[in-house]
Amino acid sequence: MNSRRTMGRSFRSLVENDLDIMPLMNLFVALIPMLLISAVFLNVTVIDMDSPPEGLSDNQDAGADKPLHLAVTIRDDFFVIEGNRLKKLVIDRHEEDPETALAAALGSVVASHPDNRDVMIISESQTRYTDIIAVMDITRAAGLPSVSLLGAN
Amino acid sequence: MARRRRKKSGHGRQPSPLPLTSMMDILTVLLLFLLKSFVVEGEVITPVPGVDLPESSSETKPRASVVVAIFDQTVMLDGRMVAQVEPNDHVSGMLIEGLAEKLDQTRAKELEIARLRGEEAEYVPRIAIQGDLEIPFELLERVMYTCNQSGFRDISLAVIGAS
Repeated sequence: MNSRRTMGRSFRSLVENDLDIMPLMNLFVALIPMLLISAVFLNVTVIDMDSPPEGLSDNQDAGADKPLHLAVTIRDDFFVIEGNRLKKLVIDRHEEDPETALAAALGSVVASHPDNRDVMIISESQTRYTDIIAVMDITRAAGLPSVSLLGAN
Repeated sequence: MARRRRKKSGHGRQPSPLPLTSMMDILTVLLLFLLKSFVVEGEVITPVPGVDLPESSSETKPRASVVVAIFDQTVMLDGRMVAQVEPNDHVSGMLIEGLAEKLDQTRAKELEIARLRGEEAEYVPRIAIQGDLEIPFELLERVMYTCNQSGFRDISLAVIGAS
């Protein structure tokens, strides 16, 4: 009888003891700084660049079998869309929402030339990088994923 | 009286355990969040401090590549400054000497590693350019030209993607 009571008390005292979470705490304290250092809070992606197409210099005589060589030129005041068999289109950057106008113009070019996937972006020497990326986004959204960069000079 | 006071603050009292349950809850949630962000697909490009990357709608994941960072007039290769480019400096042509030299060394090293692994045929010199959003095209063009001259023809531009 006595021994049973002793056993019951020792069991109760065993159960009532707090869980020893200090080793777990130590593990967490070591893991969290390590993971914080290697954590990715910014989603960095890339835009793949292509080389400009060959034979750009002899695109003056635009024959029916000539490649389109679609180009978007970023000037300080204008966006210019041009290419073989295309009527030159100028979009004023001071107008309201020139990006939408550029997207619409590129959309119509893509609709009339569905095989073409390439576009050249021609920039002036002082064109800001962020403007170039913005135009790249517009061309990609319009269905021209293959982009190459060229200097205007 | 004195004995009673001693008894109250004395050694006989059992110290109450520190309540750690709430802290453990926070740590567990934090650990799960960090583990989730740790397990990402593909290569990870860490933005170089000082470079403000432009935002873009691109969702293409980066691949393993050499990283060139450009901000103000500074050009860095894999975290080390390799050249300082003065604006409108066309005396030396389009090539950036310091960058070209380091790129040639990097390419030779990578090619040697690929050869030792027996992957020489599959080796493609790749470069990711981290440009600050305010840099002029002139500087980007010179960096791209230099990369091209050093054999890095697979060029990609690092941006902050849509989250």
